[in-house]
This record gives sequence, C-alpha cells and structure tokens, in this order.
Amino acid sequence: MADKLNTQKSVKIAAGAVVCVESEIRGDVTIGPRTVVHPKARIIAEAGPIVIGEGNLIEEQALIINSYPENITPDSEVEPKTMTIGTNNVFEVGCVSQALKIGDNNVIESKADVGRNVILTSGCIIGAFCQVNTCEVIPENTVIYGSGCMRRVQTERPQPQTLQLDFLMKILPNYHHLKKTIKASHTTS
Amino acid sequence: MHAESFFFCCCLWKCVCVRRRSTVASLLRRRCANCFDCPCCMHTLSTRATNIPAPLADDPTKTTMKKAYYLACGFCRWTSRDVGMADKSVASGGWQEPENPHAQRISKLIEYYQQLAHREKQERDRKKMARRRQCMPLAFSQHTIHVVEKYGLGTRLQRQRPGAPISALAGLSLKEGEDQKEITIEPAQALDEVEPLPEDCYTRPISLPEVTTLRQRLLQPDFQPAGASQLHPRHKHLLMKRSLRCRKCEHNLSKPEFNPTSIKFKIQLVAVSYIPEVRIMSIPNLRHTKESQVLLTLTNPVENVTHVTLAACEEEDPDDVNSTAKVLVPSKELVLAGKDAAAEYDELAEPQDFQDDPDIVAFRKSNKIGFFIKVIPQKEDDSDVTVTFRMRHDFRNLTAPVRPSEDGGDAAPEAIWLTHHVELRLGPLAP
Repeated sequence: MADKLNTQKSVKIAAGAVVCVESEIRGDVTIGPRTVVHPKARIIAEAGPIVIGEGNLIEEQALIINSYPENITPDSEVEPKTMTIGTNNVFEVGCVSQALKIGDNNVIESKADVGRNVILTSGCIIGAFCQVNTCEVIPENTVIYGSGCMRRVQTERPQPQTLQLDFLMKILPNYHHLKKTIKASHTTS
Repeated sequence: MHAESFFFCCCLWKCVCVRRRSTVASLLRRRCANCFDCPCCMHTLSTRATNIPAPLADDPTKTTMKKAYYLACGFCRWTSRDVGMADKSVASGGWQEPENPHAQRISKLIEYYQQLAHREKQERDRKKMARRRQCMPLAFSQHTIHVVEKYGLGTRLQRQRPGAPISALAGLSLKEGEDQKEITIEPAQALDEVEPLPEDCYTRPISLPEVTTLRQRLLQPDFQPAGASQLHPRHKHLLMKRSLRCRKCEHNLSKPEFNPTSIKFKIQLVAVSYIPEVRIMSIPNLRHTKESQVLLTLTNPVENVTHVTLAACEEEDPDDVNSTAKVLVPSKELVLAGKDAAAEYDELAEPQDFQDDPDIVAFRKSNKIGFFIKVIPQKEDDSDVTVTFRMRHDFRNLTAPVRPSEDGGDAAPEAIWLTHHVELRLGPLAP
C-alpha cells in the first residue's frame, strides 16, 4: 500500500524527454518522450495527476497546475481529475495553464492565463497576456489575441516546433543537469 | 509646426523631402511601397519563407527545395494564405494590391472636376479683372491670381465659409497651359430593380469568424469586404516627421532631414544639465511642531565649481502656495565640485578640500553633497508635509560664443545668478 502511494506521487519521465533539474515538478506527473521542460518551469499536480504527451515545449516560468477549484477545500472528498496534455504543444514563458484537457499543436503564448474550465482542442493559439477563464470548448484552429481577447479562426494549425525542440535537446544538456528518466511503472499487471 | 518629410518607419524607405507636397508620396497615396498592414489587426506584416519542393526547370521529375515567401502577422497569426494569396518566389515586391473595380470611373470623375474647377476659376478671375480695370489685357488674368481654387481653402474668405466642400480635392487645378479637352461624364444611373436579399438571410446562422468587424471593413473603404476571406492586406500608411520650433525664440528643436535616419535632436539647453539637482535622501519621523532633520543631496551637473545659497521663502512669496511646514535652511554658501567624468578612473586625483561644516554638510562625494535642513511641520492633517525654499546658484552659459576681452586673453563666461523655487514633498506625518 505504501508502495502504491509512493509510485502514485512520483514523477515519471519517459526516455527522450529533457527535463532540467531546476524545474519544479510536484505530484503525480507523467512526461512523454521528446518533451522539453526548461529550468524554472513548474508543473504541479495537486488535485490530481498530470499526463503530458510527446513533443511539448514548456518554457521558463510556465506554470501547469492541476489545482483544487477555489471553493473546494482540499480536505473534502473530491475525485482527483487527471489533466491531459497532448502532443506538440508550446507553453511559452510565464504562462499559466490550468486547463484540464489540452489537445495537440496548441500554443499558449507568454503570460497567458488559461482557466480550469477551458478545453483546448487542437491548433488553438492563446495570445500573449490573454486571460481565458470561460467555461467552454475552444474550437479548433482558433486564435485568441489582443487586449480584448478577440478571436479568429486560422485556416491551418500552427507548425510544430520540431526545429526548436531538436536544438534544445542538443544544447540544454550542455548547460543544465537533467532529471533522471524513470520509466512509468505499471502498477496493475 | 509644419510637416516636412515623410518617414516610413517600417522599412526606412527614403522619400525625397519636398517643401509643399511630396509628389512621390501623393502618387502612392502616402503609403509605403514595401510594407503591408495586417487586415485583421492592423499590425505590420512580416515576410516569412518556407521551403517547398518544386520541380527543377530542366528535369521535371526531380524536385528541389525552393524558397516561397508569404506574409504573416506576428500578433494575430494571420497569413496571406488565409485569403488565398499564393506564395511568391520574390521576397519583396511581388505582392499586388487588388484593383478597385470602380477605379476607372473615379479617375474619370476626378478629371472632369479638375477641368470644371479650372474653368470656373478662370471665369471668376476674368470677372474680377473686368470689374476692376477695364483696360487690362485679358491674358494678364490667367497669370495673376493663384490663390483661389474651387473646393480648396485658398483664402481666408473661403476658409471661414461654413459648409464649404472638403479640401480633399484641393490642388486639383490643372497646370497652366495644358490642353483643355472636353471631358464628358455619364451621370450615375439609378436602378429600379435591386438585387433581392437571399432567402435564408434571416434564418441562416452566422458564423462569426467569417464575418469582418466594422473596423476591418472600413479600413478598406474601396472594397469593404463582408467576409474574412476577402480581407487583403493594404500597404502601410506613412508616418510624418514634423519639424518643431520653440514658440518663444523660434529655435528649431527637431528638424527632418532628407534621410530620416540622420535627423538629430537639436535641443542643447536642457535645464537638467545646468541646474543643480536637489534630491531627498532620508526623512526621519516627522512630528507636528517638532523639529527634525531631513537629509537632502545636491548634485552638480556642470563641470565647473558651483556655489549654491539657500534661503527660506519670504512671507509674501507668490510661488509659496503649498508649504505646510517651516524650514530652516543652512545660511552658509554650499560649494559643489565640478562633475568630472574621468573621476572614477583617475585614482591619483587629490580630493579637493572644501572645509565643510559637519553640522550642515553630511558627506561629500565628487560632485554631490548631502546636507541637512530642519523641518518643523505646522499642520496636523493627513496631507503630506511640504517645504519650500529658494535656491540661488551661479550659471555659466558655455554654449554662447565667448567674446574675446579687450586685452586679448580668453575671458571666462560670466556667471549669472539664477534663483529657483524648490518645493519638496516629504510625506505624511509619523503616526
């Protein structure tokens, strides 16, 4: 029983992911291969586990947090909800993401704030400093920009940052220590 | 203040500076030839390149990577591909603005009105001349009066007339000597039948992302596209660089040049670089009617030694409006060393001996001194304690030309004593 609790609270980093030691990862977090987590990024799984897919780019001071909703105290019995993040997403510097479900190829630009009840499908771009805390599913290929959070729809989704990811995976290990990759242990066999 | 040069801040494309109106710019309708505005968010578009495989000219079976350029907005992520504009193979200059379908009709109308304006002007001149002097030859009238133009704000009389037509057509007068062909235009025809609205106009649900906003639509008045897929980028508007003059002395403050990148700021006499600066360094707890010492600093911005005398404001001082405390300033003259830019590198410099009174001068550091003033707050309310005093210092105008003195030696510029009113807000009383 103690083992199970321990494995649940640990951080599982797949092989091929580059996670810097200076990043803060707490709780039950799973990080997929080819994901780069910059130093000073924070991934905090308080109220449930976080599963991050492949090819994501999480930049400095980004905060991905699965926290309790405001009006619920941590003591009461709440079903822990898993936060799922898909592939090829970009979390730029200083953004805050609490969205429970993020699809693929999304870009959350610098200092944007995405609330808990937002569901990002794929190809969405949340512009810099835009705060989206509505309770909705953002349709595909939507761009939210500007101080009034104007919206428009793109015709094509944003390109995955493969070049940037390759570059970072080569350069970051030269300057930072990396967290050890731990294969996700299957507790149910 | 008058506008003189056109300045393309987007690409620093030079434009010839013409006194009256730039002919080049007016041809382009005051828009840059190279840069575009995003039709969606009005920011400047940047050109991006991608590599696309394209068949080689010699061998159609092999493909090679060629660069294709498209326009993209960094802010709202609009790209030229969104409206269906094909990628160009040239980095700049390949982008065409769509043609206005009414362009021909508009230019024909403009020509017709130009001719009409010219003709009416001639008639008016002729009438004026004929009324004044009957013996004047007829040819004279065509060369004399240039001012009055129809649809223009030529003279004061026209300017003050209310309801005068807009000056957009000003400058339309034909050049003297041009052939005056008769231009006729067809009058606009009113149609009886108008296209009916589509049947599902009221029932079809609107897809908001496809509809343009009013602002996007009206920024392109020739087309006013209703659908977002017809928003084409427009050339960027010019910014104008104005020349500014001081109102009092008519000095040029900033003047545009032919090349916008070489425009220099012409203000030389900025007050901050000549008047000693007073700053508050530390304030103790201020109590009502109790004397406390406040530490201020005085910094000397010029390179020669400056003498500063402080004096309390007099009773009937007209500038002394906000003072809420009595202040006792040092009565002795304070001497400030000159600002020496090389002082930090010169270790062998001997510190100048100024013989400061330790009761008045707290410290001295190159061109700065710290000194005490005594403050006695008079009012007990919640507002900030404000003290005022007068500062008198000597000023030498080094920018003015030095006249050689009579014995032939170099005369130092004379010191002028200036007095300033200083007001300091020291914050609220201590609770």
